[in-house]
Amino acid sequence: MISRSEIKSYLSKEPLFDDMTCSLKATTRQPAAMIKETRKIIELARRFNKEVIEPYALELDRTMQKDPDYLPWEFVKKANEWGFFTLWIPKIFGGHGYNIPSLSYFMEETGSACLGLSNLICVHYLAVSTIFASWNLSLISKLCRLVAQGEKTGVPCLLSTAITEPGAGTDVEEVELVDRGKVACSATKVEGGYLINGSKVFISSGHVSQWHMVICYTDLKKPSENMIILAVETGSKGFSFGRVEHKMGVKGCPASELIFDNCFVPDDLVLLSRDHTGKQKRGVKETCGQILDYVLASSRAGVSAWGAGAARGAYETALDFALTTEVNGKTLANHEWAQSMLAEMYKNVCIARLTYIETNYANGMYGLFKTIQMKPLFYYFKYMPMILLDKFAPMILNLASTTWLFRKIQLDWQSDPEFHRTAGWGSLAKFTGTDMGMKNCQMALEIMGQSGLRQDRRAEKILRDSKLLQIFEGTNQLNRLNLFKCLVAKNNPMIKVFEKE
Amino acid sequence: MLSEKETTIIALEEDVVEFTETKPTPPAPKKEAKSVDVKDVKIAAKKTAPRTSKKELTMLAKAASEFAKKMLAPNREENDKYPFGPFFEDALEKAFGVDFFHIILPEDMNGMNQGMSALSVTLDNICQEDSSLGGILFTNAAAQELMIQAGSKAELERICSKETVRDFLIALPVFNNPSEVKHLAQAKKTGDAYTLSGSLEYMVLGDLAGQAIIPASIAGSTRYSYFLVDLKDKGISKSEPILSLGLHACPAVDLELNHVKATLIGQEGKGSDYFEKMADRLHVAAASMALGVMKGSFKEAFDYAKKREQGGHEIINWSEVKMILSNMAIKISNAEMIIEKACKAVDTLEAKWETRSRAAALHIQDMACDLTTDGIQLLGGVGYMKDFGQEKRFRDAKHIQALLGITPIKKITFIENMI
Repeated sequence: MISRSEIKSYLSKEPLFDDMTCSLKATTRQPAAMIKETRKIIELARRFNKEVIEPYALELDRTMQKDPDYLPWEFVKKANEWGFFTLWIPKIFGGHGYNIPSLSYFMEETGSACLGLSNLICVHYLAVSTIFASWNLSLISKLCRLVAQGEKTGVPCLLSTAITEPGAGTDVEEVELVDRGKVACSATKVEGGYLINGSKVFISSGHVSQWHMVICYTDLKKPSENMIILAVETGSKGFSFGRVEHKMGVKGCPASELIFDNCFVPDDLVLLSRDHTGKQKRGVKETCGQILDYVLASSRAGVSAWGAGAARGAYETALDFALTTEVNGKTLANHEWAQSMLAEMYKNVCIARLTYIETNYANGMYGLFKTIQMKPLFYYFKYMPMILLDKFAPMILNLASTTWLFRKIQLDWQSDPEFHRTAGWGSLAKFTGTDMGMKNCQMALEIMGQSGLRQDRRAEKILRDSKLLQIFEGTNQLNRLNLFKCLVAKNNPMIKVFEKE
Repeated sequence: MLSEKETTIIALEEDVVEFTETKPTPPAPKKEAKSVDVKDVKIAAKKTAPRTSKKELTMLAKAASEFAKKMLAPNREENDKYPFGPFFEDALEKAFGVDFFHIILPEDMNGMNQGMSALSVTLDNICQEDSSLGGILFTNAAAQELMIQAGSKAELERICSKETVRDFLIALPVFNNPSEVKHLAQAKKTGDAYTLSGSLEYMVLGDLAGQAIIPASIAGSTRYSYFLVDLKDKGISKSEPILSLGLHACPAVDLELNHVKATLIGQEGKGSDYFEKMADRLHVAAASMALGVMKGSFKEAFDYAKKREQGGHEIINWSEVKMILSNMAIKISNAEMIIEKACKAVDTLEAKWETRSRAAALHIQDMACDLTTDGIQLLGGVGYMKDFGQEKRFRDAKHIQALLGITPIKKITFIENMI
């Protein structure tokens, strides 16, 4: 008879039982209503693809190749009319409260039709994740309700996240690197708020967003311990837009330069500062890293979903070509080699999908979505009439004690293994899904030959778009190292990751 | 009195060509010495045709490299913009003036009578800076080769006597093997004359060249034939230049043909034979284009990695970056060896030279697609932007892979030829 301690010993060997069973555990613990919601989201996305994205995507890509500074406001307004900027904001904050994992399915669906336009809608939720990771409930409530108001008035209120700097891309996504990086965007404390100076680059949707979650530093000599997140509104004094980057693809979503020249941000728009991180049990630097990884573990699952979307778009385009093209006297889809390649592409889509799904399970069980996916809270918010939530929620959310409690639950009560699991899976999903996307795009063009080269046949656009996925939200090289740090090196003190070589 | 071509050569030399390696004796005044050297290249080439000596290849490589750096690199981003055109007229004229378009033509057609080694070394060096001109050179060479294989000497001579580059160029749907996907016009024979009707996709240089070679089927025949048409014929209507993945300054158009007068190339029903013979030789040239793109991508990534800092030091000091750069360099080194061997095989008609040529292309084009994606990756976000050349090289590499037909079918054909 094997003893309890022996069982524990076996299960604590790598890979940890909990690291390999996120979905298994989640099947009973997560609300069943999520399935119905997800079904509705996929139906909605497919309808939106058919009615809006598909007739527009290639035309916009062509327009942007002619005029790279063009901003697709008409599409932003259309997405706002469809309610896409509030669908995944919890009802308590004024949104429609769909479960967050269903956003990934939405990203795969819309990404399969156009990564640029899907990006334009969904990168808004990177900013939503950023403000949620701060757990500053009163400011979350304020910003989310402005988004909801924008939906009602027909004047879109999008949010963006600004972290990358001209001299620091990879460095700012990893606390172990940021102190050695060339960060230059500073926030200086002044009476009643902060002055931001510096610039941010490659900010997705910057030019069409109303609010920007700016991650900068109160001390550039030690940024890892002095990270601050500030909400800056478009039109603020000292804040301006620089150039729209001229990219190879993903043209539907502008990548913007944000310039700050003594831009004053009042204290009540500080989402998170050292004053807050210093109060958490892990200490300032570790808490900053934890918050970054909270955001990245969820956003990287989303990028993986785009990878699945790219893989699917490429697969569907190649399949369509194979069904309608005769090669050497018979339909291409009846050639065995083509069937084999298309099967490989189908598999790549599924692999990408499985990684983002598993990561979402990890985030739902151990990470950013843990609280809102607890069955009692989930059903409470789902069925509570909006009128009551609108009336009572702000009163509760504005209490400092509520913010304190949520930070305690989400930050301090997240164990180190949970933290590593979510961050590790986020990275795994990101580089796996996006590599699958690129792989399928390359294969689609090979199958299609001359037709694959033409913009009007779609495959080449998907290839151009897909390449960005391997770069943003941390290059795939960084994500491989982060996986190693979180899932391999975590229990081995002799292994150092991101050490200077 | 210098001819226009000689004047152009001298002008180019003043700008870009420095054949210092060919001057063992004390140099004469600079302009004269250079002028003599270029002529020397041609004379030496003619004597030894079709094989080219290593020294001549080195000189040709240097000329192409200097030309590309001077004439192509500074305007690479501008020439890549959509809507396309004008298609670097100045560079085209100068490339025409120094006979880059005459490399494989026989001497009696005012050509250099060189083999694939010479064409390949030229394409390699041109494509390091901008493979669009490489695409134009390749397409034209493929069309010339097709006519040579078909024995259409008189027609080719007539074209080669043209004095402007546009009149001289021949358009060809060089990304499609008409035996695989039947993009064919319909030919009608009346007496000894032919007319073509129907539509034809993706005619490369269709908006640039004076004439085009068009695959078409004659009623009652299961095999296709090639025809030469004048692109100024009133029966031809052209689309706008097609917005494509890469090679933006090597434009293609769709054609609509309505009773267009046509001249048969070679014999009726022999189109496939001519295409395959042409492809046997030209595959290695396509591989050289891919090699040029690989070299350009590596150079930009290597230079950037030495300058860009992350994590407190230049990224070239991170071993993962070294690993990626090393893999790129290894690919290039292998590709160089393969192409050298394949070119020699083609030029000397070694046993299995056709296999060498095709194998080189299939392998190196694959490598170029892998390498150029890493080339972007090493630059991170800026590698994805138009400001650097990496994103263009990534697109061009994939575009080049599609030359001469659908890649998996080219692989199937490769093994079928061995069965």
